[in-house]
Amino acid sequence: MIENTVMLLIIVPLLFSLLFVALPKSLYKYLAWAFFIIGVALSVSLVLGGTGVVPVEGPNFAMFENIVLVLEVLVILFILAVSAKYKNWPTLGLGIISAALFAYTYANVPGAESASFNIDQLAQLMILIVNIVGTAIILFATGYMDQYEEHRHLNRQRIFYFTMSFFLAAMNGLVMSDTLGWLYLFWELTTLCSFVLISYNMDEEGINNGFRALALNLVGGVAMSIGIIMLATKYDISSLTGIATYAGTDAVALAALALPVALLCIGGFAKSAQMPFHSWLLGAMVAPTPVSALLHSSTMVNAGVFLVVKLVPAYANTSLGTAIAVYGSFTFVICSALALSQRNAKRVLAYSTIANLGLIIASAGIGTPLAVAASMMLILFHAISKGLLFLCTGEIEHTIGSRDIEDMSGLIKKAPLLTSIAALGMISMLLPPFGVLLTKWVSMEAASNNPVVIVFIVLGSALTTVYYSKWLGTILSSSMDKNAVPHKKLETYFPLSVLALSIIGTSIFIFSIYNYFIGPQVEILLGNVPNITGPVGQFTSEIGAFDYAAVFVVLALAILIYLATKNMFTPRIASYYMCGENNLEKDRLMFRNGLCSYEKSSVSNIYLQNIFGESKLTTFGYAISIILIVIALAGGVGL
Amino acid sequence: MNDILTIILVLIGAPILGCLASGIDRKLTARLQGRVGPPLLQPYYDVRKLFSKDNMVVNPSQNFYVIVYLVFIVLSLLMLVFKQDFLMIIFVYTVASVALVVGGMSTGSPYARVGSSREIMAILSYEPVLILYALAIYLLTGTFKLSALLDKSSPLLIYTPLIFIAMIVVLNIKLKKSPFDYSTSHHGHQELVKGMTTEYGGPGFATIEIAHFYEYVFLTGLIFLFWASTPVIGVLIGIIAYLLVIVIDNITARVYWQWMLKLSWTVLLVMSIVNIAFLYVSGAQLA
Repeated sequence: MIENTVMLLIIVPLLFSLLFVALPKSLYKYLAWAFFIIGVALSVSLVLGGTGVVPVEGPNFAMFENIVLVLEVLVILFILAVSAKYKNWPTLGLGIISAALFAYTYANVPGAESASFNIDQLAQLMILIVNIVGTAIILFATGYMDQYEEHRHLNRQRIFYFTMSFFLAAMNGLVMSDTLGWLYLFWELTTLCSFVLISYNMDEEGINNGFRALALNLVGGVAMSIGIIMLATKYDISSLTGIATYAGTDAVALAALALPVALLCIGGFAKSAQMPFHSWLLGAMVAPTPVSALLHSSTMVNAGVFLVVKLVPAYANTSLGTAIAVYGSFTFVICSALALSQRNAKRVLAYSTIANLGLIIASAGIGTPLAVAASMMLILFHAISKGLLFLCTGEIEHTIGSRDIEDMSGLIKKAPLLTSIAALGMISMLLPPFGVLLTKWVSMEAASNNPVVIVFIVLGSALTTVYYSKWLGTILSSSMDKNAVPHKKLETYFPLSVLALSIIGTSIFIFSIYNYFIGPQVEILLGNVPNITGPVGQFTSEIGAFDYAAVFVVLALAILIYLATKNMFTPRIASYYMCGENNLEKDRLMFRNGLCSYEKSSVSNIYLQNIFGESKLTTFGYAISIILIVIALAGGVGL
Repeated sequence: MNDILTIILVLIGAPILGCLASGIDRKLTARLQGRVGPPLLQPYYDVRKLFSKDNMVVNPSQNFYVIVYLVFIVLSLLMLVFKQDFLMIIFVYTVASVALVVGGMSTGSPYARVGSSREIMAILSYEPVLILYALAIYLLTGTFKLSALLDKSSPLLIYTPLIFIAMIVVLNIKLKKSPFDYSTSHHGHQELVKGMTTEYGGPGFATIEIAHFYEYVFLTGLIFLFWASTPVIGVLIGIIAYLLVIVIDNITARVYWQWMLKLSWTVLLVMSIVNIAFLYVSGAQLA
């Protein structure tokens, strides 16, 4: 039963990617609907099918192994070919190194007899994220891409949908496979897909940014394949569960594994765009918004943190774990500060993604059961909220023609439904009772035994509140001019509503999610569960209690009071105060100045460019993060 | 049953206390400035008058944010009274602060938006200190739940003098008193025309005032925790801190918000971190 679902989860997206190529553009909408429904059905059936290991042996294995081999060769050839074509020498060099490592692996590493897919709770959770959020994003794209291409005179939708679906297939394979060799193949495939999607516009900027993503991820890939070779040749380990088992034997084994595990983690950091590698994710925003949404929420960056969390047994409570925690929390605070200084909505979101992934990595690095639980919950909540926010930004851009936060003031008047959904997404990132905040609370409490990590998280959390509430206030501010008209398409608003409802649903049912997915997975990873109990509507750990039900009730109460009193005091609309110097005859937005002519009033948010600006912080961030990675590696070899 | 009685007591008692505190503030300020000052119950008369006024709004939904502000202040106060998780209380309190900021911005008025922007900077200034305060409580009692702190027999203040000083400044910022009153200047100062609340009048503004009454009690409650082991001393410290803030309000002039940000991210944060580092190193536990 579960074998079939596993195979279908890889084959169905591949099939859809071929269908997108074969069928005409007019059918894409229906294909995307079908893909969404099937994706939801498949992922739900995988979850219902329970956990287990799916071994691949015998003739089947030989066949798959050959396919993997051919695909790996193709991936490397493709990288070499495009980098040679566009004369991108660094990428070509990295491609050659990858090829050499591949040849070395092929010649020296003994071949395995079998491989396996490991469906544990984390894999189930990731499958749900990939196949529900991911297909919702593709559905959104069908209502978005026509207008996007029209503006830019492009006609590459075939490639676009092919790659997006292929991406989901690769991602499904990645989160399910236990064999490191296969994991690595899927890893490289997602890198390749992101390259194709980022350079979608085929202009100079797009191609440059695509190559940057490719190169930085290849650096991570090289680190990862060195790690895999070390594991295979020295310790005869070829799977993720193998690492956990070996690390669990004794302290000597745990210490011996530290270096290869650190190398694998560096692969994860590159994929999750952590600090020295973060520029690729910022560059990725040149691509159409659905691509950003896919990269930031359901695929790509999640692969990195997925691997880091899976490796928890190999570094929990070691000096490597502490180094990872400090590194992650540093990325969290520095990228939150950078987000504060940005006006471009997509850049704010990109920095926010990097910051939150840093928090996930920090929580994983702390390595207590509570912290690891927090990191997995944050993967889920962050994916949903960030997917929603990116899609909203894309739709806002189509509505008002700008992605500058300052241009978004008055949006609530122009597109009320869209703004409410976007506001929900932002609130879910920073305020209780929503999931992201709850997990932030858990990770703060879990981090409180490590002074450096907790101070970083505290500062980052304050900065997060600031940059989101600034944006939130801007989109909710009313204005008197009203000229943009929202496009009300079903393909646009359906995915947005699905994501918005899942934010509310997952936040309400957080405890069931915890019991079903997170708790058992922590037990698999660390052997013991965090001591979390819950009287109804409460989330109680050994050191604190989060009464999320009370917050929900009070929020509902606020809405009720508002509705009840709305008619008690009939509102009388007035124009706003301008010291009595409004221009009453015109649009009331202007001040009358000393010469009796009019000047428009405009107010902008505070961005603190000269404290937190990119020019001030980026170099500093590079330096510190590289030092921290070196420390992690040094901790790995036991210096 | 007892819980419900407590809730009712807090719901009714806190605004009365807050109203008196606000009245004392105005009386004291007047005396310091050589005026007679309004009657002690003037804040109450103001609120009563505001409720009888027309509900003038710029944006029909602007009063929603005010209600969120009020109920979340009340919730954080109740959670404080019921000795809940301190970190959680801070986050619930953040909802209230953000609601007021968004409420100000939602009007779209230039004055209100400037005020809100500055208030966001105030959040940036005080929130880390508040959370480090929570961390100190965790380090000293082993849990973020306040119930443990209130069971202890020795006061928190002995171990957290630096955080106490930082919290006095936070109190100053949160009560929007000089030198940090730039997000809601008084009308007399003209340049900001009551900042965030510029566009609020009538019942909406009355609600903000009532929420302020609750907030006064909540904030002095945070100071009370420094000596919760002997409630009488705790209350006394809370009152002294409040009076101190009023005095500071009257003897200082407003500063730029940049100055506040620098002050809090250098002096206040360093003080708090030094205090926290001391707690880590000494491994001290409250008796």
